[in-house]
Amino acid sequence: MRRMFLRRAGLALFLMLAATALTFAIVTAAPGNVAALIAERAAGAGADGEMIKRIADELGLNDPLPVRYVHWLGKAVAGDLGESLRTGKPMMDEFAERIPVTALLLFGGGVIALVLSIGLGLWGAVSNGGVVDRLLHGAALIGASTPNFFVAAMLVIVFAVGLGWVPSFGASGATSWLLPWFTIALFPASVLARVVRVNLQEAMSRPFATTGFAKGLSRRGVLLREALPNIAVPFITTFGAQFTLMIIGAIVVERVFGLNGVGAFFIEAIRFRDFVGMQAVLTLFVVFFVSVNLFVDLIAMFADPRLRRARRA
Amino acid sequence: MTTPVYAVENLIIDLYTPTVSVRAVDGASFEIHPGETLAIVGESGSGKTVMTLGPLGLLPEGVAIDMRGTARADGRDLVAMSQSELSAMRGGEFGVIFQDPMSALNPMLKIGPQLAEQARRHAGLSAADARKEAVSLLARTGIPDPADRYDRYPHELSGGMLQRAMIALALAAKPRVLIADEPTTALDATVQAQILALIRQIQKEDGIAVVLITHDIGAVSVLADRVIVLYAGQIAEEGSAIDVLTRPVHPYTKGLLASVPDFRSEISSGTREIPGLPPNQTKVEPGCRFAERCSIAQPSCLARRPTLLPVGDGSVLHRAACPVVLNAQGVAHQ
Repeated sequence: MRRMFLRRAGLALFLMLAATALTFAIVTAAPGNVAALIAERAAGAGADGEMIKRIADELGLNDPLPVRYVHWLGKAVAGDLGESLRTGKPMMDEFAERIPVTALLLFGGGVIALVLSIGLGLWGAVSNGGVVDRLLHGAALIGASTPNFFVAAMLVIVFAVGLGWVPSFGASGATSWLLPWFTIALFPASVLARVVRVNLQEAMSRPFATTGFAKGLSRRGVLLREALPNIAVPFITTFGAQFTLMIIGAIVVERVFGLNGVGAFFIEAIRFRDFVGMQAVLTLFVVFFVSVNLFVDLIAMFADPRLRRARRA
Repeated sequence: MTTPVYAVENLIIDLYTPTVSVRAVDGASFEIHPGETLAIVGESGSGKTVMTLGPLGLLPEGVAIDMRGTARADGRDLVAMSQSELSAMRGGEFGVIFQDPMSALNPMLKIGPQLAEQARRHAGLSAADARKEAVSLLARTGIPDPADRYDRYPHELSGGMLQRAMIALALAAKPRVLIADEPTTALDATVQAQILALIRQIQKEDGIAVVLITHDIGAVSVLADRVIVLYAGQIAEEGSAIDVLTRPVHPYTKGLLASVPDFRSEISSGTREIPGLPPNQTKVEPGCRFAERCSIAQPSCLARRPTLLPVGDGSVLHRAACPVVLNAQGVAHQ
């Protein structure tokens, strides 16, 4: 088990290095000249070729790519992701301000996706081919195929503009989070509800479900006591994947709902060709992806007694 | 004679999958009394399991089922029961052991607590008493160090131990009927004998009725008082184990017994297979289902469905559904 953990952690580290190197190369290859941007910001229209060259030399922009990556990596590991070319503030300060917003968005969306998917998946399994089951199946299909900017717009039109229940914009108290949360949760909830439903059905056809009936449990009892624990591993794994994907949704949702999070910052960084900011946000995403997946693997391992006890062997 | 604990009469069960419908049980009747062991034998697909577990609602999900006839237990008809009444019957009157204990026990649940839960629900025990009862059930079924095994998951036990645990689980609610659906098929040969001995011992001690569903003639000879031979959903022959095993009447029973390898003879010389394959049960034909594989079939066999008739002087209800053989015997008697 410990060796397994070390191997997983080593793999995670390798993935982070590979992914940051790749994003570094791509961001660098993107059109635009960092030195020119900085010079323009400092001197306005007065920036000349010499100034640009001087800045490029200072920043080491003319060094070969591997050298620049290692240079960047050394600073990043020490906790320095550079200064945003757009705001001029250290990226760590930007993150300190914005990560809580994004984290709250993902956390709320994750909880909603978790509760909805298990609840609706179970409801469908209880209905078992009935009207509810078919309606939920259709709803999940629609939910998984509607783009979230459209969902956001519809929610705003109905609940903010039409009914006036919640604000349409910004982070101003608890109710202002409801629309962003539901928007970001819709896709993962739809996918996960199907995962729950399909895996429950599979579990109900296994011999241990028949044993559950033989024990005298009702169908609902068999679903909850026998089938539900058996979907833990596929559910946790899929949930982890969906949760990491929610960060992509956050880019759109933060923008639409005027939330000042990492995703909104990323869009601005792209518009402004803020290469430092882009690289910093992408690095954050990489760390998020890899660590969530590592965490999920560990949880899945503890959820299944067969894997849990394997460490003693 | 005692009242039967489980009595099935004129049972017809049709199974529907999205593509085919099958008449799995075609007008079968049987009953079983307290303290008796009834073996139901036949090939795979002959309807043994469907006939026995179908009325209890214990067929896999996803198969639609249409059931007619009656199945009485405790004086009530299971076929006409509501789902919740049926659940109570399953967890009370009947205990079931399945073929493969590795897949029949939930891999995510510990063994002991499931037993305790059954004991609690049935006898209304406290949590502590239920745990004691569960441990003693494990001990009774021959599981060593039962207090330790209580907290184990199925994957931590061997197949034989799991089948013992399965038996303990089936007994936890003190059933009056124990249904063992091919309880030894998935086990090692050395373990099979132990499990059969355990079932026999429990039956002697508790005086419960045991229905043994099997195609293992050896198991039948060890355990059974009475035998039902099922072919394509119809009962071909029934009677005491001795009568059916040593003086089979129906050509199918004879074929079935002849196909059992005898350890004293070479496989090639002593064993004969029944020619042909079991019939397609998607169509309900008149006449004898075995006729097309039968060496003594006559044209009349295909016209009318044979009924079970007493064999010889009709001692202890030895009956067979083969007028051809019975008529020949009748002639011989005169």
